[in-house]
Amino acid sequence: MRAAAIVCLLLTATAHAHIASNGFLAVKVEGARLSGSIELAMRDAELAVGLDSNRDGAITWGELRSHQRDLELYVRSRLALGDGTHRCSEEFSSVEVNERVDGNYVWLPFTADCGRSRLSRVVVDYRLLQGIDPSHRGLLSITAWGGTQTGVLNGQGEQSIALEHPSAWRAFTEYLQTGIWHIWSGIDHLLFLLSLLLPAVLRRRHRHWEAVPLAAPAFVNILKVVTAFTIAHSLTLSLAAFEVVRLPSRLTESVIAASIVIAALNNIFPKVTEGRWRIAFAFGLLHGFGFASVLADMGLPPGARVISLLSFNLGVEVGQLAVVVAVMPMAYAIRATTFYRQTVMRWGSSAIATLALVWLVQRAVG
Amino acid sequence: MISPSACAAMLALVAGTAAGAPFVPRDDSAVLAEVTPGTRHSELAARQRAAQRLDVALPLAQLYIKQARNTGDLRFLGYAEAVLDPWIGPDTQSADALVLHATVLQSRHDFSGALAVLERARALRPNDAQAWLTSATVLRVLGEYEKSLAACKSIGDAVVVELCEQGVRGLRGELTSAYAAIQQIDSQEMPPLERAWRDSELGEMAVRLGRDGEAEHWFQNGLRASPGDFYIRAAYADLLLRNGRAREVLVLLKGQESLEPLLLRIAIAQKAMRDPALEHSSARLAAAFAAEAQRGDGVHRREEARFLLEIRGDPQAALGAALENWKVQREADDVLVLMRAAQAAGVPQAAQPAVAFVREHGVEDVRMAGLMGARS
Repeated sequence: MRAAAIVCLLLTATAHAHIASNGFLAVKVEGARLSGSIELAMRDAELAVGLDSNRDGAITWGELRSHQRDLELYVRSRLALGDGTHRCSEEFSSVEVNERVDGNYVWLPFTADCGRSRLSRVVVDYRLLQGIDPSHRGLLSITAWGGTQTGVLNGQGEQSIALEHPSAWRAFTEYLQTGIWHIWSGIDHLLFLLSLLLPAVLRRRHRHWEAVPLAAPAFVNILKVVTAFTIAHSLTLSLAAFEVVRLPSRLTESVIAASIVIAALNNIFPKVTEGRWRIAFAFGLLHGFGFASVLADMGLPPGARVISLLSFNLGVEVGQLAVVVAVMPMAYAIRATTFYRQTVMRWGSSAIATLALVWLVQRAVG
Repeated sequence: MISPSACAAMLALVAGTAAGAPFVPRDDSAVLAEVTPGTRHSELAARQRAAQRLDVALPLAQLYIKQARNTGDLRFLGYAEAVLDPWIGPDTQSADALVLHATVLQSRHDFSGALAVLERARALRPNDAQAWLTSATVLRVLGEYEKSLAACKSIGDAVVVELCEQGVRGLRGELTSAYAAIQQIDSQEMPPLERAWRDSELGEMAVRLGRDGEAEHWFQNGLRASPGDFYIRAAYADLLLRNGRAREVLVLLKGQESLEPLLLRIAIAQKAMRDPALEHSSARLAAAFAAEAQRGDGVHRREEARFLLEIRGDPQAALGAALENWKVQREADDVLVLMRAAQAAGVPQAAQPAVAFVREHGVEDVRMAGLMGARS
C-alpha cells in the first residue's frame, strides 16, 4: 500500500491541473458611487455559506435563491470597498448565474455609495474564502472614465487602486455620448424646448394663430430660441461644473418643471408672442444647473476637466439639434392645418403643461 | 449546456472587457453545480479539528491532494494547504506535513519552493521515501537529471527505484535500454496506480522512439488501470492528433472539457475537423488563460503556448509564452512547443536554450528531429 501512496504523489507531480479558485470583482466608478458585481464559483459559495440545503449533492437555482441573504451577509463581512477614508455602503440586488470556463458562478450585483466626493482611488479589503482556500484570489476589474484597470486581490489586507486619468480623446467621446444620452433620456429639457418651438412656425394675428407665410421667419424664430437656450444653459453649466455657483437640486429641478408649465401655458394663453427667446434664455439658465447635476454625479476626470465639460455640452447641443431637425420641418409642413394650429397647439401644450405640473408637485414636495 | 449569453460573455472577456452576461435559470429545480465530497460547508468542522490535531490534518490533506489528482481540480490543493498551514511553521516536527506541503507546491509548479520544503522534511527524517521520490520528480521536470537520479536511488522500494531511475535515464541518452528495462519490470503484482505510471512511462518512451503503435498499446493499458489519469489521456490524445485521428480525440476526451489541458486537445481536434464548436472551446480557453495571467501564475503556460500556436495561429505570442514556460519546466513537451513556436515565428534561433538542453543531455525524440535541423 505504501507504494501506491508513493505513486499517487509522483503522478500528482506530472498531472495537469484545473483552474484555481478565483472570485471576480467588477466595479464601475461613477462619481462617488460604485456599481458592479461579485462572482464566486458555486462550489466556493457552497463552502462559504452552504447552498445545498437538502444535501442531495446538487445545488439548484431554488437553493441558491433561498440563500441570497446568507450570501449578502458573507460578502458584507468579508469584502470592504472604500475611498481610503470612508467605507462605501453596499446594496445588493438579486443573484443570478454566470457560466465560466470551470462551471457556474454565483453573480451578485451591487451598488455602493461612497460619500460625497468623486473617487480618485478605490480601496479594497477582500477576504472572501479566507481560511478556506489560501490559494483563492479576487480578480478585480475597475472601470472608470471609460478605461478599465485590473488587479489581483490576495486577501492580505487593504489594497489601494489609484484610478488612472483618461486620455483626452477618451474623455471627449465618453462625455459627448453622455451629453447626447442625457438630453434624450431627460425628457424635461426637450419638452421645454419643444413648447417654445411649437409656435415658431406660426404667428399671432387677431387673437389667433396663423401660419407664417415663409420659411425664413420660422427658421429665424427657431434659431433664436435654440441659440438663447444653448447660451444660457452652457453658461450656468460651466459655472456649476467648476463649482463657482451651486444651487440645491430640489430648487433647480422644481424650477425646470415650472419652466415647462409656463412655456406650455404660453401657447394656450399667449402672453409672450414675440421674443420667446427671452423665456428660453431666462429658464435656460436654470436648465444648465440641471445638466450640471449629471456631471456632478459622474465627476469631471482629473486632467481632462475642460475637455470633458466641453464635450458633454457639445453632446447636449447635438442631441437637442437632432430633435429640432427631426421635428421642426414636419411642424413647418403642417403649420397651416387646423390640426396643428388647434389640436397640437392647444391640446398638445395642455398635455405637456399637465405632465410638468405633476413633476413640479413631485419635485417640490419631495 | 452553454447559453448563448454565457458564450457572449466569454467572447467579451477575450475581447478584453470583463463584463459578464449573467442569466436567470428558468426554474427552481435547475441544477447549477454538483457538490463533490470534501467541498461541503458542513465539512469545515473537520478542518477546524485538523487545526488542533495532526492525526486529523495529515489524512485530510492527503485526501484533498488525492482529490486534486483524481479530478484535476486545483481548489483541492488550496484546501490541503489550508489544513496543513498550522503544521508547517518554522518549528514543525512533522516531516509528513512538510512532504504534503511540498506536493501542493509542486502541483502548482512552484518547483523551487517544493525543493526547499523537501529539504526541511529530510532534515527531520533523512530516509523519507516520499520526500526523495517527490524530489526526484521535481528535479526531473526541471531537467536536473543527475540530481534526479541521485534522489531516485534514495527511495528504498526496489520497484519504485527502478521505475524512477529508468524514467530519467530514458531522457538522457539511454532511451532504448530504459524502454527495455521498464518492460522487464513485472507488472503482475503492481497496484493499479503504479501500473498506470509504468504504462505511461513506456507509452511516452515509445512515442519518443517513433513507435506510435506500441505507444497506443501502453496508453490504453494505462487508462484501463487508471481511467482518471488525464496525463495519460492527454499524451494519448497528442498521439492521435499527430496521426490525423482527430475524431477519436473527441471520443477519448468527451466530458473532460473542464480540464484546460484536455480542452486544448479537444480544440485542436475541432480545428482539424473544422467543427464550429471550436469557437466556443477557444473562447473558454482564452478566458481561462486570461484569468491565470491576471492571477500571475502560469500553471498552464505550456498549454497557452500551444493554444496560441495551433489555435490562434499567433507564433510571436506563442514564442513568448513558450519562453516563459521554459524558465519553469523542461519536459519533452516544453522543448517541442518552444522549438515549434520559434520555427513558426521565423526565428529558430530563439529556441537555442531548448536545442542546447537537448544536445547537452542527449535527449532522444523523433518528434524533435526536423526541428533540431531547422536551427540556424
